Amino acid sequence: MTENFISLHQVNLHYASVAYKERSLKSLMANALKTRRAKAVFSDIHALKDISLTIHQGERVGLLGHNGAGKSTLLKTIAGLYPISGGEIQVQGQVRSLFDLSLGFEPDATGRENILYRGLLLGLSPKFIAQKKEEIIKFADLGEFIDYPIKTFSAGMQVRLAFAISTSVGGDILLLDEVIGAGDANFMVKAKNRITSLIEQSKILVLASHDFSALKSLCHRGIVFHQGELVFDGEILKAIDIYNKVNGMTI
Amino acid sequence: MINYISGIWDARYFWVHLSLSDLRSRWRRSFFGIFWSMIQPLGITLLISFVFSRLFNTDITRYAPHVLSGIIIWEFLVASVTGGALSFLQADAYIKQCKHPLAIYPLRTVLAALMMLMMASVPLIGWILFIMPENLGLCWISALLAFPILLLIAWPLSTFMAYIGVRFRDLVPALTLILQALWFVSPVYFEVKMFRAAGLDNFVDYNPIYHLLQIIRAPLLQGEWPTVENYSFCLITAIVFLILAIWLGSRAERRVIFYL
Repeated sequence: MTENFISLHQVNLHYASVAYKERSLKSLMANALKTRRAKAVFSDIHALKDISLTIHQGERVGLLGHNGAGKSTLLKTIAGLYPISGGEIQVQGQVRSLFDLSLGFEPDATGRENILYRGLLLGLSPKFIAQKKEEIIKFADLGEFIDYPIKTFSAGMQVRLAFAISTSVGGDILLLDEVIGAGDANFMVKAKNRITSLIEQSKILVLASHDFSALKSLCHRGIVFHQGELVFDGEILKAIDIYNKVNGMTI
Repeated sequence: MINYISGIWDARYFWVHLSLSDLRSRWRRSFFGIFWSMIQPLGITLLISFVFSRLFNTDITRYAPHVLSGIIIWEFLVASVTGGALSFLQADAYIKQCKHPLAIYPLRTVLAALMMLMMASVPLIGWILFIMPENLGLCWISALLAFPILLLIAWPLSTFMAYIGVRFRDLVPALTLILQALWFVSPVYFEVKMFRAAGLDNFVDYNPIYHLLQIIRAPLLQGEWPTVENYSFCLITAIVFLILAIWLGSRAERRVIFYL
């Protein structure tokens, strides 16, 4: 088996500014007719600036940074969702990511049906989902509600089901974005154990979080982002220090 | 390219499921359920045929299947084009979470529309077998071929529209206008001979919609094989849309996520 790794070389990423402008055929035609006039200029958002890093098999990496510093963008870039505008990126291994858990349920279908749907979204085969189904239902622990339409679920219940499905299968590379912290106290304990076992199975973990204690216990390497730039890459305790310093906080 | 196609194949359970769930949610809301897709075009057909057969002095029993075949194919095209324009927007939750080839989302729209078309063609075939049983013959095989041909045309077309639709949010009203214009210059409800009688032969001979309709109409309504010309027009249309979709997709696919 080949070694799993993530390697970025001088990666840049811009969010296209067109996406934030008014986008309609109407305005396109209006602009074609109008003479040029000064107006508010949106520039592309430079979300990742010259990022170079390599993560080898067996590493547990924590990402630190303010909201908007580039943590989630980096995770989504590694997951292959975002296109880079410069540099090189290589990812070897099957990526499993837990980002926004509440997305992608079908409100009219029952919890049981949604297990199948979400499993298919994750790229699992119907056969495999049928095998895992009972385990997922048991873990989500929703009682009779599993046969009710999702729209009758509370937000917490939805997250529980989503978590149970998304974590039922591991991967070589695990990307987590602030998912620890779902459901009630009882479920939290179970969720934490589940995440821990997923992390143990995975070959590489990249976790974006603001929870220092989770970062300290799960990761040994920390990467600090500030306004799209990588400002520190090293030991996790040091990284937390740097993060506090960069953002002008004292402990 | 091969990677892309195998990605589509790997996600097959997912898009088949999405199409089926589109149909389920459509039928779940109506009393007649699945029969609604058969009753609705039939109802419109009866109405239109009644009026038009009086206006143009034609035999309603023979004119009605012409209208019905026109309606169901036209509805399929409209669903593929306008549904396609919305297919990325509708799938934004999936696109933001998982990296599947984007072409599966228009495919989902087209497949659902194709299944609706299959439902709607049942009463058409029933009607023809009842009124014109002499048309039944080997050439009906070509009517079956219409489904893959429609898929080959509609999938790239729908994909192309999906990219434009995600960039220009007011595409659907513009498309509705364009489709209405196309409808007027095509023999969807009107008969071909009316166009020819008015000297508008070009609207028929160079119109891919006419040739597409002929793939179904020639065998079912006339008991004949479609001509080589009919097939070539359809294939050329499919290839043109395929090239357009690949060209646009290769430029824009990765950036779609920013526009959602």
